[in-house]
Amino acid sequence: MKKIQLRFAVWVVLSGMSVFPQQERFRRSPPPPEPLQELKLPRIERAVLSNQLNVSIVTRENAPFSSLQLIVFAGESLSPNVPAGTATFVASLLGRGTLVRSVLDVEEFLDSIGGAFSISVGQDHILLTFHFMEEYLDPALGFLSQVLLQPNFTRTEIDYAKFTTTYDLVAKEKDPDFVSRRHLARMLFQNHPYEKFAFSSDAIKAWNQTSLADFFDRFYRPNNARIIFASSLSLNAATRKISQYLNLWQPRDLPPIALPPLKVPEKERICLVDVPQSRECMAYVGTVFPNPGNPERFDLAVLNQVLGGTPTSRLFMNLRESKAFANFAYSEAEFYRAGGLFLVRAKVRPEAIAPALQEIRKEIRTLTKEPVSSLEIEQAKSYLIFNFPLRIERYDEFSRRMADNQARNDGEEFWSRYYEQVMLVNADRVFATAQKLLGQPLILVIAGDKSVLSERLTDLETYDVFDAKGQFQYTVTKDKKGAAHEAR
Amino acid sequence: MFNHGRRRTRVGISLGLVLVFAAPLLGQFGPSFPLTHARLKNGLKVILSEDPSLPVVSVAVAYNVGSVHEPFGKAGLATIMENLMFRGSANVAPFQHFNFINRVGGELSASTSEDRTIFYQTVPSNQLALVLWLESDRMRSLEINEGAFERARMALLDDLLQKKSEPYYDSQLSFDQLIYSDFPHSHPVLGTEENARNLTVEDARNFYTGYYAPNNAVLCITGNFNKLSVSELVARYFETIPRGKDVSQSFEPPVYTRQPVIKTFQDVLASAPAFHLGFRIAPPFSNDFYTLSIVDYILFRGRSSRLTRRLLGRDNKIAYQAAGGIEKRKDRAIYRIFCVVNNMAMAERCQEAIFAELDRLKRTVLSEPDLVRTKTMFKRDYLERLSSSMERALFLCESFLSLRNFDDVPLELDKYMKVTANDIVGILNRYFTADNSIILNVKTK
Repeated sequence: MKKIQLRFAVWVVLSGMSVFPQQERFRRSPPPPEPLQELKLPRIERAVLSNQLNVSIVTRENAPFSSLQLIVFAGESLSPNVPAGTATFVASLLGRGTLVRSVLDVEEFLDSIGGAFSISVGQDHILLTFHFMEEYLDPALGFLSQVLLQPNFTRTEIDYAKFTTTYDLVAKEKDPDFVSRRHLARMLFQNHPYEKFAFSSDAIKAWNQTSLADFFDRFYRPNNARIIFASSLSLNAATRKISQYLNLWQPRDLPPIALPPLKVPEKERICLVDVPQSRECMAYVGTVFPNPGNPERFDLAVLNQVLGGTPTSRLFMNLRESKAFANFAYSEAEFYRAGGLFLVRAKVRPEAIAPALQEIRKEIRTLTKEPVSSLEIEQAKSYLIFNFPLRIERYDEFSRRMADNQARNDGEEFWSRYYEQVMLVNADRVFATAQKLLGQPLILVIAGDKSVLSERLTDLETYDVFDAKGQFQYTVTKDKKGAAHEAR
Repeated sequence: MFNHGRRRTRVGISLGLVLVFAAPLLGQFGPSFPLTHARLKNGLKVILSEDPSLPVVSVAVAYNVGSVHEPFGKAGLATIMENLMFRGSANVAPFQHFNFINRVGGELSASTSEDRTIFYQTVPSNQLALVLWLESDRMRSLEINEGAFERARMALLDDLLQKKSEPYYDSQLSFDQLIYSDFPHSHPVLGTEENARNLTVEDARNFYTGYYAPNNAVLCITGNFNKLSVSELVARYFETIPRGKDVSQSFEPPVYTRQPVIKTFQDVLASAPAFHLGFRIAPPFSNDFYTLSIVDYILFRGRSSRLTRRLLGRDNKIAYQAAGGIEKRKDRAIYRIFCVVNNMAMAERCQEAIFAELDRLKRTVLSEPDLVRTKTMFKRDYLERLSSSMERALFLCESFLSLRNFDDVPLELDKYMKVTANDIVGILNRYFTADNSIILNVKTK
């Protein structure tokens, strides 16, 4: 019997440690890749209409849909201090009917052209996204013209927008993810125009007809906007169409916008935001940085990929796969006109908040102390390079990427030199970026049920407690004997 | 091996593949894209759809198995199997599937439903062989050991815990039992905690052997690939995987008595009252199903749909939330509506409003503009499902597993577009009636 077992074991070893008999040799290792095919991006052409509207045309043959992105540089940072949130307010009213179409008419119209219309508001700009079936090009552009030239800012619509926005915001204030992200923005953008983006439901009461009409009239101008239009039309045909419907949109002189640079926090701060009865817990760690030039942008992209860009990055593998502290853990970078925001975002098991925070800090610290291995750098670069075509496969994703690119003024070279720029990144450059960015004081925000979380945060020397709206409540400090004290 | 376009080739015969059919037929409204399909000797269905516009390729492997195939008392097995498929096979270490795909910039995911388990990934087109190697390895030689099984079971228990903490989840399960009545169709995809704790590694091995065989699967490759080398690669990696036992896909036909059912359920986690309302409708992709799909759009799709406006209209909103749609579970389908309301009186008012709107639709033939609008929305969503190589691969797998005749794929959209206003009245009268309705009112504690 023993002999048989021994023979079997020898046979297993000889057959490549496999218990699956008759395995073909090619199954033992992954096949090599074929030569990489050249990525040919869809043709992008540009034109400027007589009213100074910049138009980028992407021609994609045989597409059943058209996708139009309108960028207007009318983001939240341009809202007046009072009422904060005006940019969001204006955007929420666009598409809720025009002077010639009621809300119900608009809903029916959009459905009838297979349309989807949405507006997102950022710090520096708004992005209006409009997709529709290509066969309805003329009615769709006619509708866009009404939205821009005949918006409906009646009292009824304003009251309704205030009601729904308040309702939405109150609902979101029960969501630890929303609450913690907003709080992080407040902490990092304190006394900067970007702080206005984090307005609370109280600001909505001050919204009024005059301020929104002024804001719209001032910023919603063709010389302050750009269009990216993806369809099967050629440059000439597309610009002719857009011009036909938007040529009455009049430009206006705009004062230059001067934004102060973002300020790096002077010291580390830990905030606990109470979301009563929440079963979930979110942890955010963030900092800001001055706007990077092109080479640094790519160093940061690789650093982000190593730390938390995808589920195979360090944070996810550690906090979820290895320690099971978190449902997910990622990092991301956002770029604005006045600088950038780098953050780590993790959905943590409430009972594991303390060790989870330790691990996040450890991962960040490690990047500032030890250079990333060349192998890991190459893997991160490989992901960034090869994932790129996947991101632009859908017609709407491609035009959305283009819109982001144009909104940030990334320039023509950004995409054409994308591969080359990523390839040039090395371990030294990533290490230098990590030391510069992550070596500075960080803001940590935890959001969840305070009654559950505070029991788990006893190791922290000090932290500030806020309510879900972001109002400061008290500071918890640990004394020499380890007892926690609250000070208001 | 595969027939690209109208031309048939005999290359496949030398590789041992049986060429079945190529379907370049196009409908009047249908999307135009190349589509070829074949079946290997071991029964694996292979579907190819080429799109050379970007250097990207998607591979989906769909197994014709889901929670409906779980034996009584073994609920949760299908979900555990999905998890185990990432925990290593003869030549791929646990979780290396993720790493291999991620390192080449690819993206991957998997899903388990009542009647399918699908694994899909998109990679740069030069990495097609890698994906076929990975997929074939786990189809051929998954390693199911005690450790991997235990970790998969823990993941399932975590998911169950999460689900159980969601308001209305328990009421949803209770409604499923009312409307489907038999175990295969009525039990949840995640199963139950009790079942999950009783499952054994042997159960998982038997489930894998029984259902994760080439003759119970479809492999779909879409995007940018080399026409000549793709057939060679498919043959290389999949042809020698042994065929499994034939799988029965038939279930006891349901016996329903047609009478209204109204029950009440107390949901301790619900913060507001709610109700589930369902109608048993014709099986998926039966003749009536095409009209039923258009009816779904009339009732609940788009902001101008009838019940969306009736229940959630800005001037006459009577529900906090309202959603509805067709739910398919293998050979059964229901039309399902769920509303969250302010109080039980409003629940009653909502139900009256729903039946009143249905009556109005039965009495008045839908106007031509309304019908055209509805079909435009349907067409948009249908074509959206072909917008990327991944979506197209999933669409084709789904079509293959659902349709009686896969060759009808290019003609499918036409069937929806040909639905008439009179067809709609007929369907509403047949299925959307009080005596075919099942209501579960959900009370708060």
